[in-house]
Amino acid sequence: MICVTDELEKLCSLDGISGDEGQVREYILSRIEGKAQVTVDPLGNVIAFVKGKKTSDKRVMISAHMDEVGFVTTYINDDGTLKIAPVGGIEPGAAFGKRVKVYGKGGCVNGVIGGRAIHNLSSAQRKEIPEITSMCVDIGADSSDEAKSLVSPGDSVCFVSQFCAFGDGFLKGKAIDDRAGCAIMLHLIDEGVEYDTWFTFVVQEEIGLRGSACAAYTVEPDIAIVLESTTAADIPPAQGDSQVCRLQKGPVVSFMDRRTIYDKELYRLAFETAKDCMIPCQTKSLIAGGNDAGAIHVSRGGVRTAAISLPCRYLHSPSCVIHRSDLENAYILLKNLLNRIYDK
Amino acid sequence: MEIFEILQRLTEVNGVAGDERRAAEKAAEILADMGFQTEMCYSGCICRIGNDELPLVMIDAHIDEIGMTVTYITDDGFLKIGECGGLDPRVLPAQQVTVFGKETLKGVVASVPPHLAKDGSKTPDIKDIYIDVGLSGERARELVSPGDTVVIENPVTRLHGGRVTAKSLDNRAGAAAVIAALGLLRGKEIPVSVAAVFSAKEETGGAGARTAAYTLAPHLAIVTDVSFAAVAGDRPEECGKMGKGPMIGFSPSLSREFSDSAVNTAKRLGIPFQIEVMPGRTGTNADVIGISRRGVKTVTISVPIKHMHTPIETVDMADIENTARLIAAAVESAGDLCD
Repeated sequence: MICVTDELEKLCSLDGISGDEGQVREYILSRIEGKAQVTVDPLGNVIAFVKGKKTSDKRVMISAHMDEVGFVTTYINDDGTLKIAPVGGIEPGAAFGKRVKVYGKGGCVNGVIGGRAIHNLSSAQRKEIPEITSMCVDIGADSSDEAKSLVSPGDSVCFVSQFCAFGDGFLKGKAIDDRAGCAIMLHLIDEGVEYDTWFTFVVQEEIGLRGSACAAYTVEPDIAIVLESTTAADIPPAQGDSQVCRLQKGPVVSFMDRRTIYDKELYRLAFETAKDCMIPCQTKSLIAGGNDAGAIHVSRGGVRTAAISLPCRYLHSPSCVIHRSDLENAYILLKNLLNRIYDK
Repeated sequence: MEIFEILQRLTEVNGVAGDERRAAEKAAEILADMGFQTEMCYSGCICRIGNDELPLVMIDAHIDEIGMTVTYITDDGFLKIGECGGLDPRVLPAQQVTVFGKETLKGVVASVPPHLAKDGSKTPDIKDIYIDVGLSGERARELVSPGDTVVIENPVTRLHGGRVTAKSLDNRAGAAAVIAALGLLRGKEIPVSVAAVFSAKEETGGAGARTAAYTLAPHLAIVTDVSFAAVAGDRPEECGKMGKGPMIGFSPSLSREFSDSAVNTAKRLGIPFQIEVMPGRTGTNADVIGISRRGVKTVTISVPIKHMHTPIETVDMADIENTARLIAAAVESAGDLCD
């Protein structure tokens, strides 16, 4: 069986901005073939039913999103550079001066996101990072005709960032949000489940929790567990609660974010489970962000929902950073929490 | 050796200003593979060709690159940095970096994600930048010391056509052109002798070129660096164009005679070129070489570059090749200027 970290590395090497998750979906379908009953819905969500040793009267759905933040080409300038718009929330500083790949009609084209050299800017201009919609992607073309032979408006643009391990057990890559969730689900499907369980690998989270809404409608669960990556700000100069959550302190179970007030009983059960498994577990000290739970918990007549998230530094950048121990502990927590939910 | 291979080998090493030994040694290794002899010295790496009784032309290409240096290590293991050269701080958030400590370490420039950002449009102040090396304070202090250098990685990658992107193309592109020019001059009868200097510490003021010019006491100097190629929003009179050939400098601080001669040589041989007007000093090593000892007639022959002082610097391979041709031709035509 592939270890979760290797699985994550493979998943992060794939490109799939919201609405263009095909590469990730194809890989997931190939990985779970023969291990689940699988359907792909009209939006492109992968809905997998995995038979357990036992059947429960509770229907539980585990969900992670396949899409990542990136950009879309909006216009081709006269000088052969491309205008882009962000797909999902990306800070201008995370985009400027970075390498990208543009998925053109004839294949993938390398590019760089740049602008005017700092030497040629006024002192006022130097203080501002340009808006993403004012940046240009340089693919090496010198005219719009040359560029149009390679790319078109609407083409997806993805960060280029090699997945790597660094320091003492840290992992860096693009798209860890939320391929980490996908990796945990693939690992659990490989290992097998005690009870019949639904797994959904969903699309379009980053543009407003859209795939999960349809997947939850289809699965019609009683209980859902969302696997995510969430903002950790355990970096200087942040102190105390402004760190939100911290790496190496275990998976994050939230009581509330900007989209969801989570099920209290599941929240408590998650912490109890972590304690009994002797793994660290933490909550977020800031009510911020949101994830697919926001769409799932209001699906049909309502779904009791919990989220298990990986604390992740530099979220929505080409260099997301998580810690290996949190990934492993999130897996242990999910597996044990799932059994407790069924056994209760 | 193909110029792309030269460039690839030069950009795969890191050499922040003041810590450019590896890059200078790489230039020496490439030259040795091409059959040239070199010497390493305080100023960098020097390669001499021609009869040393003839007047000397110094060809300078700085071998250092912009980067950062560690200034402080926090109790929780993050590194604070200062800049070596005029790094563009707008590109820093979320870059992968390499730290040259006791071991070579990977790290990430800490950034604030959109969920928490208050104003993401502000350029970060270098004083507020932290580098995450994934180590505790104790471990970080074992492996990293103040003064260790830090670079942002970007291995050489082809874009469309002849364009390539990499970190440190300022000035490995210029160094590649000079190495290729030496290759073109090999075995030729030339009216001068040549000392090509791959010089240290340009980005922090030109110390390598200054000391090399004093030591060599040349008659003439050609300085090959990179210069601005226009992107959207630039003034055309301040920038050259990508793919339109080497930029020959005209400046009160350069030798008009040498600049005119370079233009005539390019015209005579049909080498594409552009004129770069700089109304004062040049911002290159020509500024210090030109006033070495009793003064040196100097010209700049530069490779157009986009996105200067960022890790995604971009050049055109044809420009490097034509820069090499023009440097070689300028050396062959330099006899008249040495009287």
